[in-house]
Amino acid sequence: MEKEFSIDILSSVQKPVRYTGGEFGSIVKSDSETEVLIALAFPDVYEVGMSYLGFKILYHLLNKEQGIAAERVYAPWVDMEEKMREHGIPLRTLETGRKLSECDMVGFTLQYELSYTNILNMLDLGGITLLANERGENDPFVIVGGPCVYNPEPLTDFFDLAVIGEGEEVLIELMEYYKNWKQGGRKGGRRGFLRLAVQIKGIYVPSFYRIVYKDNGTISAVQPIDDSAPSEIEKRVISDLNGIDFPDTVVVPFGEIVHDRIMLEVFRGCTRGCRFCHAGMIYRPVRERKPEVLKDMARKLVASTGYNEISLVSLSTADYSCLAPMIHDMVNEFKDKRVSVSLPSLRIDSFCVDIAREVQAVRKSSLTFAPEAGSQKMRDVINKGVTEEDLMNAVGTAFSSGWSSVKLYFMLGLPEETDEDVLAIADLAKKVKQKYFQVTGRHGAKITVSVSSFVPKPYTAFQWVGQNDIKVLRHKQFLLKDALKVKNITFQYHDAKTSVIEAVFARGDRRLGKAILLAWEKGARFDGWSDCFSYERWLESIKEAGLDIDFYAARGRGEYEVFPWEHLQPGITRRFLWNEWEKAKKRQLTPDCRRGNCQGCGVCQNLGVDIIDWGTGEAQ
Amino acid sequence: MKLRMQITKEHDIRFISHLEYVRTLERAIRRAQLPVSYSEGFNPHMKFSLASALGVGIVSYAEFLEMELAEPMEPENAVKKLSANLPRGIRILAADAVASGSTALMSQAGGASYRITLPYEDDLNEVVAGFNAAKSLPFKKLAPQKKEGFKEIDVKFYIPCIKAVHQKGKTILEFDCRITHDGSMKAVDLLNALNEYWHINLPVAKADIERLALYKTDEKGNKKNMLE
Repeated sequence: MEKEFSIDILSSVQKPVRYTGGEFGSIVKSDSETEVLIALAFPDVYEVGMSYLGFKILYHLLNKEQGIAAERVYAPWVDMEEKMREHGIPLRTLETGRKLSECDMVGFTLQYELSYTNILNMLDLGGITLLANERGENDPFVIVGGPCVYNPEPLTDFFDLAVIGEGEEVLIELMEYYKNWKQGGRKGGRRGFLRLAVQIKGIYVPSFYRIVYKDNGTISAVQPIDDSAPSEIEKRVISDLNGIDFPDTVVVPFGEIVHDRIMLEVFRGCTRGCRFCHAGMIYRPVRERKPEVLKDMARKLVASTGYNEISLVSLSTADYSCLAPMIHDMVNEFKDKRVSVSLPSLRIDSFCVDIAREVQAVRKSSLTFAPEAGSQKMRDVINKGVTEEDLMNAVGTAFSSGWSSVKLYFMLGLPEETDEDVLAIADLAKKVKQKYFQVTGRHGAKITVSVSSFVPKPYTAFQWVGQNDIKVLRHKQFLLKDALKVKNITFQYHDAKTSVIEAVFARGDRRLGKAILLAWEKGARFDGWSDCFSYERWLESIKEAGLDIDFYAARGRGEYEVFPWEHLQPGITRRFLWNEWEKAKKRQLTPDCRRGNCQGCGVCQNLGVDIIDWGTGEAQ
Repeated sequence: MKLRMQITKEHDIRFISHLEYVRTLERAIRRAQLPVSYSEGFNPHMKFSLASALGVGIVSYAEFLEMELAEPMEPENAVKKLSANLPRGIRILAADAVASGSTALMSQAGGASYRITLPYEDDLNEVVAGFNAAKSLPFKKLAPQKKEGFKEIDVKFYIPCIKAVHQKGKTILEFDCRITHDGSMKAVDLLNALNEYWHINLPVAKADIERLALYKTDEKGNKKNMLE
C-alpha cells in the first residue's frame, strides 16, 4: 500500500510533518491484530487536532482493546489538499496509511460549527460517499461526537450515527456491536447495523427520525420512524472518573502543536452556571478526580512522554477542591525533573493569583481574566458572579506580585446589553490600568482587551435569544474601539461575521445540510480560519438552499417553540433553562450547586449521577 | 563528562525540521532519564547539541549529538536507555564518552559524504567528466539574509569530484562536500549548478538526498572518524 507522499510533494507544502506520522507513542497495529478499524478524524489541521484531549483519551482506550485499531487523521491544509487533488492522492490515516474509505468507521469530533465544511472535505478526499443515504455496503459508518453533538442537526445528511455524551464506555460498546454484526455476516446491511446500534444508550441515528415543520418554518414535531428508535436519546456520562482508565502515555509530536504539554484532566463539568455557557450545561455534573489519582497520572505521563510541562485542565481548574495543596505537591515533586505546572485559566480572585505565583515561580508572562461583561448589570444577567471589586483585588494582587501585563476577555452582544454596558468595558479596562499605578507607583501596565461576539447556544438559558445582527455587533465593536483609544490598552476583536454563521449552525436544523453542501461545493473549508472564511459565500449558499440567515441567528424564539435538538438530552430540564432566562432578565443570580443547594437543573436526577467534590472531605 | 553519539534521521522522519529533530531528541533524553546537565536560570535548557543542521527532507546516517552529563554513565548503558525511547527513524549507530571541556563537536566537522538518487535516465558521463575537470564553477546560492538575495560560491571548492551510476532507471550521484568554519554548500545546489552549466534537467524537486557520513579532516585532508 502506498502511504508516502512523494519527496517533491512533501518538499512543496508548509509543515510536511503534519502528514508523515511515525511519532513516538503512535500505535500501529498489524492487519491480523485489526478486526475493527476506526479513524479518529479531527476536522482541522494536525497541530489543532493533536491538542484535543478527547481524542488522546479515546485513542488510548480503543487501542487497548484487542481487535480494535484507532488511527488518526486530520484535515490537510489547503496547500496539501491542492497537491492531493492534483495527483489523485486520497486522504489516509497516519498510522497505517489506510484510505478513509477502507476504515470500518470514521469518527469526527464536532468542536466548532465552523469546522463543518472540513468534514465534508475530508469525507470527499477520503473517498467516502458524502450523503449518508447514498452510502453503499462498502462505505464506512460516519460517526460524530463532541460538544456540538447536542445539536448535530445541520450535519444529519452526512453522518450515520452520533455518540451523545462522554465516549469512554459507549464507543467500546459500539465497537463490540459492530464486531458481532460483521462476524455475523452483516445481517440486514447498513440499516441492520444502525438498528442494532440504537439499542445502545447514547447512540443517535438521525435517519430514524422525521422532522415535521410548521408553515412558519419552526418545528412542530420530531418523530421516530423506525420502531427501534427511542423518542429521546440521553447523554452518556461517566459517574466516577476515578474508576476509568486515563492514558498513561500519549502520542508525542515532532513539531510544535497548539497545546504542547501534558494535559491532566482534573475534573469534568462546571456548575458556576454562567448563562451563556454551553460547556457549563452539557458536561454536568461536576466530577473531580482524587489528588492521588492525578499525581499518579502525572508521574506516568512525565515518564512516558518527556514533556516538561503539566497543564491542569478542566472547565474552571481554580474550582478544584484540593487545588492549592495538590499544586504545591506537584511543583515540589517535579521541580528536580524540571517539569513545570500550569493553569490554563484563572478565576477572578486573589487566591488564583497566589496560585499562579506559585506555579510560575519567576517567569512573569501575562495573566488572563475573563470578566465577560463590563457592567455589573450585565455580569448579573449572565450570572457571572463576579464584581468589579473582585477584579480589582485580583489584578491588584497580580500587579503587586510583579505582573505588569493583563489580558481581559469580554463578550459583545449579550442579551439586555445597551451601549452604556458596552462602554462600561472600556471603563473597567481603564480602572485596571489605574490600579497598576496605585499599586506600583508606575505607569506602563499593558492591558489587552479581547472581545468576541456572543453566540446563543442550545441548552443554555439564552437558547431563546435572538443574536444581535451584524450591524448592531459592528456598531458595538466600533463604539468600544473608539472608547479604548488609550495608551497602553490594546483592543482586539473578532470579525462579527464568523459569529453570525456560527450562530446559524449552533441552533440550526436539518434543512441547513443543503447550505453546508452548497458552501463546500463553492470552496468553503477552514471557515474558522479568517483567511479562508467568506461571509458572502455563506450568504449565497444559505439563500440558495432556500433558507434565511435571520431565521436562525437573529430571531428570538417563543417560550414554547420546539427546538431541533430536544430529542438529544444532556439531562438539563427545559423549565430550569427558561427560569434562568427569566432570572437573567430580572438580574437575579443563581448560586453554584457544587458545594451548596441543588438549583434544580435536573442533571443528577435525570442521569442518576452525583456531584463528586473532595472539598467537603468526602464526595457528596 | 560528555557523551557523543552517531545517530540517524531516516526515511520515516526525513521531513521533520532541524528544530523538530532537536526537540524530539530532547524529549527522548528526558524519557530515557539520562543524567544530562542543564543550564542555570529560570528557563534552564538541556546541555546538548548537534554537530550540524540538516536540511528538511534529507535522510542522514551521520548526525552527531553531544550531551553534557551531570554524573558519569557507561556509554553502552546510555545507548540502551536512549534507544528504547527513540521514535522510528532515529537509531544510534555509535557512541563514545569524552572529558568535559573537549572541543565541541560542532566545530570539528570537515566534510560530509552524500548520495543523491534521481529519477533520471540520460547519460551523465560527459557532465561528470566536465565537472571533475573544471578548475572552478562559480555559483550564486540563495542567501535571503543578504541584500542581493544570493551569495557567490565556488562549487569546486566544496565539491572537488563527483561519481554517477545508473541503476534501474535512476541516476545515483555520490560525492564529498567540504565543511569549513564559514559554512558549506547544500547538496541540492550541486544539482542546480549542474543544470545551469550543462543545460540539463535533473529533476531537483524529486531528488532523494542522503547524507552517508560526516567526518573530521586532518592537515593533509584525510578523513577521520568524528568520534575519534
